[in-house]
Amino acid sequence: MELKKAILERRSIRAFSEKPIEKNLLEEILRAGIYSPSAGNIQSWAFFCVMNPKSVHNIITVSPGIVSSPVAIICICSDQDRAFSRAGKGGTILVLMDCAMAAQNIMLRAFDLGIGSCVIRSFNQDAIREILGAPEHFLPELLVTLGYPAQKPSAPPRRQDVIFWEEYKESKNE
Amino acid sequence: MSDREIFRGLFELIGYMLTSARGLVNEPPIYGPFRLVDGVSRLCTLLENETSQYKDFFSMIKKKIDEKKFTVITDEATFIGMIDEVVLDYTKRLKKT
Repeated sequence: MELKKAILERRSIRAFSEKPIEKNLLEEILRAGIYSPSAGNIQSWAFFCVMNPKSVHNIITVSPGIVSSPVAIICICSDQDRAFSRAGKGGTILVLMDCAMAAQNIMLRAFDLGIGSCVIRSFNQDAIREILGAPEHFLPELLVTLGYPAQKPSAPPRRQDVIFWEEYKESKNE
Repeated sequence: MSDREIFRGLFELIGYMLTSARGLVNEPPIYGPFRLVDGVSRLCTLLENETSQYKDFFSMIKKKIDEKKFTVITDEATFIGMIDEVVLDYTKRLKKT
C-alpha cells in the first residue's frame, strides 16, 4: 500500500468484527511501533499487546474511551525511569510525544494490513497498570484498539486554515 | 440475560462510571454529557431484555442514543439535539406511568 493512501484513508474504527487477528500480524504492527522516532533515540517506552478476551474486556471496563469491542489492544507505556535518567524532567515530557508517534506508526501499519484501529486516551492509568501487572515506572499513555473493521467511516472535514506559508497571516474566515 | 449476567453487567457499569468520573476531571467538558448518555445506553442494554413495562422504552432510547452518540466529536449540535430528544421521550413516558 502506498504511504499516501494509508495516511489519507486511515480512519478511527469504533466497530470491529469478532475475527481474531493473527499473531504474526500483531508482531508486524508492534514492529512498526518500535521503529518510530524517539527524542534522543532514548526509546523510553514499552508496548503491551493484549489478546486474551478476559483481559481485553477488563481493559475496556476501566477505559470509558473504548466504545467498541476490539479483539486486541496495544497499551503504549512511557518508561518514566528511563526517560528521566537519560533526559531529565524534559525527557518525561518528550516521551509523551514519542508514544504518540509510535501510536501513529502502529495505526498506519495496522491499516496497511487491513486492520482497523482507534487511539484512546480516556482510560484510568492506575487501573490499566494494575491489569497489566506493569511496574510503577511504566505509565500507560495510550491504548490502540485493534480489530477487523465492521464499519467504513467517512473522513471528517479537515480545517484548511491551520497551514501557514512562511509566516502567520490572519484567516479571512476567522 | 440471566440475573448473574445482569449483575456482572452492572458491576462493569460501575467501573465505567468510576473511571469516567476520574477521567472527566481532565477531559473536554462535552465528554461529560457523552459519558452520561453512553452510560444510559449501557444500562438499557442490560435491561432491554427484561420483562417489564419499560422494555420497549429501554430499546427505543438505546437505539436513539447509539445512532447519534458519536456525533459528539463531529457535530456537537446534532449530539445535543439527540439528548434533547431522548429527554423529551423520557418525560412523555414518565407522564404516562
